[in-house]
Amino acid sequence: MTPTEGQVAGSFRDPSGFLFWREGRLYRQVNEAYRIHYDRLVSSGLAAELQADGLLVGHEECAPGLAQAPGAYKVLRPELVPFISYPYEWSFSQLKDAARLTLAVQKRALARGMSLKDASAYNVQFVHGRPLLIDTLSFEACPEGRPWVAYRQFCQHFLAPLALMARRDVRLGRLGQLHLDGVPLDLAAELLPGRTRFAFSLLTHIHLHARSQKRYQDRPVAARQRPLSRFALLALIDSLEGAVRKLDWRPRGTEWADYYGQTNYSGEALDLKERMVADMLRELRPRNVWDVGANTGRFSRVASRAGIPTVALDIDPAAVEKNYRQCRRDSERFLLPLVGDVTNPSPGIGWENGERLSLLQRGPADALLALALVHHLAIGNNLPLGKVAESLARACRSLVIEFVPKADSQVRRLLATREDIFPDYHAQGFEAAFQDHFAIERRESIAGTDRILYAMHSRRS
Amino acid sequence: MKILRHALRMCGLVLAVSLLFPRRVYGYIDPGTGSYIFQIVIAAFVAVSFAVKVYWNKIKKFVAGLFSKKNDAH
Repeated sequence: MTPTEGQVAGSFRDPSGFLFWREGRLYRQVNEAYRIHYDRLVSSGLAAELQADGLLVGHEECAPGLAQAPGAYKVLRPELVPFISYPYEWSFSQLKDAARLTLAVQKRALARGMSLKDASAYNVQFVHGRPLLIDTLSFEACPEGRPWVAYRQFCQHFLAPLALMARRDVRLGRLGQLHLDGVPLDLAAELLPGRTRFAFSLLTHIHLHARSQKRYQDRPVAARQRPLSRFALLALIDSLEGAVRKLDWRPRGTEWADYYGQTNYSGEALDLKERMVADMLRELRPRNVWDVGANTGRFSRVASRAGIPTVALDIDPAAVEKNYRQCRRDSERFLLPLVGDVTNPSPGIGWENGERLSLLQRGPADALLALALVHHLAIGNNLPLGKVAESLARACRSLVIEFVPKADSQVRRLLATREDIFPDYHAQGFEAAFQDHFAIERRESIAGTDRILYAMHSRRS
Repeated sequence: MKILRHALRMCGLVLAVSLLFPRRVYGYIDPGTGSYIFQIVIAAFVAVSFAVKVYWNKIKKFVAGLFSKKNDAH
């Protein structure tokens, strides 16, 4: 990511402070308005505890003179997140782990007389394979008796999409891209199957909650103190934890999840391809890698196991879920699986399309892997090879790409039900299209297949 | 039995919702009136089962403690 100097586009809603870039470094300004809460966060030991246990992003306090705007109390320098991802790009278990993190943090905050004042899924990022709360200003000193102000937000950002994914269709995780502040509960209640009313946690936190929202929508109500005991508040968090825990989704052979079992690759050819990719990456020595069309991440791991921060992007939520489960099981630190469609990448959303960045704005990747992908783009999606090359040249500095010719059974399958309108789809045509945008460094046939592997450098960088 | 318990819980909830009023809150996000009122109701409601859970765990711990002490003695 090439940061632009000044305030970060998505950091303006909370008057407590904001993030900004200065001379290539990221800082967080803490405003005077947040002073008592910040002091409490530090003096109560909550910040140190959460940071020590890897639940809250680390930071160091800097000279106040670095402040970007008037009204600063402190300036912090937070640890950098290697790649910013968004909840609508996460697999089911990633969102579930982020929800559990949020509740775990809230419980610890309550134990020290504080509370999360927001429960936005955008405040969670995956760092070293684990979810991490990245907003140091999310805490407030919470007097006894105050209900949880972020209860609605938690239900909209976490519980509703998780319930929809688990109980209706896992692809509904993408709904978050349409609704910046989480899935509206009336919409979730409408979409969820009727039987979810018989699950107490979903009946209450989604169905009845939605009804209560509707009932008080336009009703002016008298302000009256109605305290909520700390015990009842803990009971509420416990109930939400139970609701999240009970939701589960396991991938069963969807589109690509069994892909490696179906390819025409022999075991040896796959191993060979893995060694060839490893060789090319060793030469390119990238600082980060995007594996586009990563499936369950076999080739992404060639990069991530060499200690290169790697994003494994795939369109299939089942493949990404499998990938994430493996990452979690093996405590992989450098791999981030995400759901995404390369032919329709995440757009910039929110205010002025700038609050959440598009996928391409989060690039360019130092190196991009596009293995067994080009036939899906050119033949499956009618994308001219020149356009593919132009777009990839913008998305990365170096490229490792596999050309899959028409003789390959995967391409024959794509062409089986349609007219072949791709006369230029052959190795020469591919090279001609890519040479306009890339300098081809290496070209190697993959023995035992008709495929060719290339290493290239973008002419734009 | 399960349905009966479910129906009782629902009646309790509806009754509780109808008895409550909100209060003014401060914060940069809107907690939402309906969500705020509902939270107070549902929290009071789940607190009962939470209390049972907490005490049940304490009893289990106590009993487990008794047995482990016995084992130590042997």
